[in-house]
Amino acid sequence: MEIKLEGNGLGHRYGRGRGLEPLSFALSGPGVVAVTGPNGSGKSTLLRILAGLLRPSAGASTLRVERCEFERAERRKVTGWASPDLHFYGELTVRENLEFAAEARGLTGRSVAVREVVGSVGLTSRLDDRAAALSTGMHQRLRLAFALLGSPPILLLDEPGSHLDAAGKGHLVEVLTRVRATTRVVLATNDPGERDLAEQSIALAGRGLGDTA
Amino acid sequence: MPSRASRSLAAVWAILRKECRSEWRTRYGLNSALLFAVTALVAVSFGAGRLGDRVDVLAAMLWIVLLFATLASLSHAFVREVEGQTLSMLRRVASPTEIAIGKLLFNLLFLAVLEIVTVPLFLVLMGAPPPRWGTFLALLALGSLALAVSSTLLGALIAQSRGRGALFAGVSFPVLLPVLAAAVSGTRAQWQQLPAGGEIRLLAAYGAALMAASLLLYDHLWEE
Repeated sequence: MEIKLEGNGLGHRYGRGRGLEPLSFALSGPGVVAVTGPNGSGKSTLLRILAGLLRPSAGASTLRVERCEFERAERRKVTGWASPDLHFYGELTVRENLEFAAEARGLTGRSVAVREVVGSVGLTSRLDDRAAALSTGMHQRLRLAFALLGSPPILLLDEPGSHLDAAGKGHLVEVLTRVRATTRVVLATNDPGERDLAEQSIALAGRGLGDTA
Repeated sequence: MPSRASRSLAAVWAILRKECRSEWRTRYGLNSALLFAVTALVAVSFGAGRLGDRVDVLAAMLWIVLLFATLASLSHAFVREVEGQTLSMLRRVASPTEIAIGKLLFNLLFLAVLEIVTVPLFLVLMGAPPPRWGTFLALLALGSLALAVSSTLLGALIAQSRGRGALFAGVSFPVLLPVLAAAVSGTRAQWQQLPAGGEIRLLAAYGAALMAASLLLYDHLWEE
């Protein structure tokens, strides 16, 4: 699959504080790239920009899949995003949250797709539990399942291993190993184990919100 | 592959179903809206008795009860997403316009359920004269549409602002005033056996204008 992900002078400011120092990169084809940097350097900001959730205050990003360019508003159709900022409806079950997402995205074979992604992160036994009843680690697995739903060609994973136990981390490694041949994975992490899963890396040097320059 | 239109319809339908399911599980708005409406009607009927000969007061009371019973709940459609931090999840599965239309349909459904309970109770407890049903139902439907469209739009606009409660009250007053004025005037006119076509047209035009403005604005909401 032809996948291109580019940033050209991509930067962002939150008010007077800098969220992401201007950055340029070009990634093509499937594979795993790690985005590293100190807290506040803009890893999450970069992923939100690539996911189309945030308009950069400088530069531009380009996302192409099979020669189709996806503008910001359309990126949800080809990207899966998991982040600590992602929260679910506590009054709905794991199954209902994911089936709602699948239905809203117009995915066919919703039940099968939900069972598949839930199985791949080891959450099958909690399928009918309300999201509010999940532990932090289980919540993180649900975020991963949400990102994987519909097998998007681009995965944007922000600290995907945080709060996961050994079994959860095992599932994460299995998933990344399985999808890396067909999917472009952007992994924001400072975990050495997760960094080792990537064949490329983008190091962010900015001081993030603390930097008002 | 599904067309763009059918994908949008699927998203709107999914959001409507999700809203209904969430409301059913939490009873966030319906219980308080029904409680307010029934309490207000019972209290007024005890205090003032039957007001069958005061159709001007009846018309105003009907719309005040409907407005106050629904306003807090309707505006909360988006506020709940912000406070529950679920807006990012919602934006990942649907466009702002699809989200807003799904929520608007839910608000209309909410109003319909509330009115099915409240309006017959109002007519009985207040001793209201029999309405001209065609005109009365048209006023209720168009007034509810205008109320739901404006509350949904304002709720979406203020959801991410600080002090949204006070802001909603301040912003909604001038937007809702034409709806209230036309609805009260039309409801009174139909009880007085006077024509209410002007008010019906005004409510329809106002609802349509707000709907058009909403569709233009929604895709620019929640820009970060």
